[in-house]
Amino acid sequence: MNKDKTLHKDIRKDFPILSKKILKTKDLVYFDTAASAQKPQVVIDELNQFYESHYSNVSRGVHTLSVESTLRYEDARKKVQNFINAKSENEIIFTKSATESINLVAQTFYDKYMSAGDEIILSLMEHHSNLIPWYFLRDKYGVVIKFANITESGEIDVNHFESLITPKTKIAALTHLSNVYGSKIDEKVSSICKRNNVAILLDGCQSAAHLKIDVQKLECDFFVFSGHKTYGPSGIGVLYGKENLLNEMPPYQGGGGMIGEVTTNKVSFAELPAKYEAGTPAIAEAHGLGIAIDYMNNIGIENIINHEEELTKYAYEKISELDFVKIYGDGDNRNSIISFNIENIHSHEVSSFLDVEGIAVRAGHHCCQPLMKHLGVNSTSRLSFGMYNTIEEVDIFINALIKCKEFFIK
Amino acid sequence: MNELLKELYQEIILDHGKEPRNFGECEIHNKSAHGHNPLCGDKVSLTLFVDDDDIIKDIKFSGEGCAISVASASLMTEKLKGKKLSFAEDMFKDFTDLVKGSEESLSIIDEDDSLYALKGVKDFPMRVKCATLAWHTFKNALKE
Repeated sequence: MNKDKTLHKDIRKDFPILSKKILKTKDLVYFDTAASAQKPQVVIDELNQFYESHYSNVSRGVHTLSVESTLRYEDARKKVQNFINAKSENEIIFTKSATESINLVAQTFYDKYMSAGDEIILSLMEHHSNLIPWYFLRDKYGVVIKFANITESGEIDVNHFESLITPKTKIAALTHLSNVYGSKIDEKVSSICKRNNVAILLDGCQSAAHLKIDVQKLECDFFVFSGHKTYGPSGIGVLYGKENLLNEMPPYQGGGGMIGEVTTNKVSFAELPAKYEAGTPAIAEAHGLGIAIDYMNNIGIENIINHEEELTKYAYEKISELDFVKIYGDGDNRNSIISFNIENIHSHEVSSFLDVEGIAVRAGHHCCQPLMKHLGVNSTSRLSFGMYNTIEEVDIFINALIKCKEFFIK
Repeated sequence: MNELLKELYQEIILDHGKEPRNFGECEIHNKSAHGHNPLCGDKVSLTLFVDDDDIIKDIKFSGEGCAISVASASLMTEKLKGKKLSFAEDMFKDFTDLVKGSEESLSIIDEDDSLYALKGVKDFPMRVKCATLAWHTFKNALKE
């Protein structure tokens, strides 16, 4: 634990924003990494450096800057490939966000493999970004969406999930790590899908920076995550897809960069991964994501996981001791995220109160309105950890929660 | 205790947040609207009875939300009941100016006004929508 803390103090120095004072006096306690992670200095510097010294468009032209940009952009792809252990860099598509990645899969997977009446399985705890792209298919093409139940502990009910599968089920799209419960998906779900010849997309937005990702072990067909939640820039997202599927599915958007040959009456398409990257991509952002991955690898994913586990366990225990706080889900399968409510105090009040104490937590429905309805609440507060958080910060948070309750409930 | 919080959560706000006035639905109404803050999920439903002389004879709200949004709705119904629509429109403008921090442009609301208690919202820009939800819903009800 001591070793972990030492490692950790050094880490804090790498994130310049952590020295910011809130309302000029309070030390920032950033517990909103699940919404977006802060950036280490090296990522910020490299973005500047890229624009100052190497920037041009990629995969177009042969001049020096074009080469330098292209090398860095493609290098980032290799880093992502290794980061999630994909078989080939052709399986890594850069998008603008995880949301775009899911929209891409929904549209092109439908085009190739589905028709009206076919079925999709989601769960009640999906983020809106893993709901609406599929709702579009339902509303436009008449596919059927089924929802897997969530257990009390905040996990997909695996038996119920399996019971939803029929010969018409073509794909399941599920969160790898819930942004409300912090629960990791049961590995059985992937094998059930495989056994039933159902494709599976895992939404890895919350897991990519907090678990060791191995898409081959996960047995998923698609895996998506965003750059900004993995200590990289916003504006860059990743889609991993199995090469044979990405080859079979049609392109998503048309434009420059995704073509083979264009005449006035026909077009052929580029090979992977360019086929899915129409238009000028987020070049510097991809590079920034690559640097963020290097940074995480240097710290060590295992070290990050251990540290966050310790924080989560400690915070869960401390919050559980407060009889006026309700935590959603239980403590066993929980990774870096805790959603809660203080009895009779709306999450907005909690969040505003904590804010003036310098503590940033998320308040609201977390883009999970169906789950909020399932829980019978309007909103919750959520704390979420990054590698830079400390046990001391959890103590500050706990004290602030007690003060918050005293302020509103006299 | 932090001054900004004290300013935001004045006694009257906490009181109206906990025990909102005019909560429910008007028995007879000829105007209504639902308001929803998609960012946080807060909801408000408003019913009104406006007579032929454009007087708001009755106004009630229901819904769920934070103390700021509930208190604001409650104070709004108290303020608008019995008033002319034209007054209500002016009040809408004044109130939105108040919570956005443009105090100098107020024409009706002064320091003695109950709505003045929501002035503290200006220091919490993300909460402006909480405070104005009921008022925007009121505007929408008039459009019907």
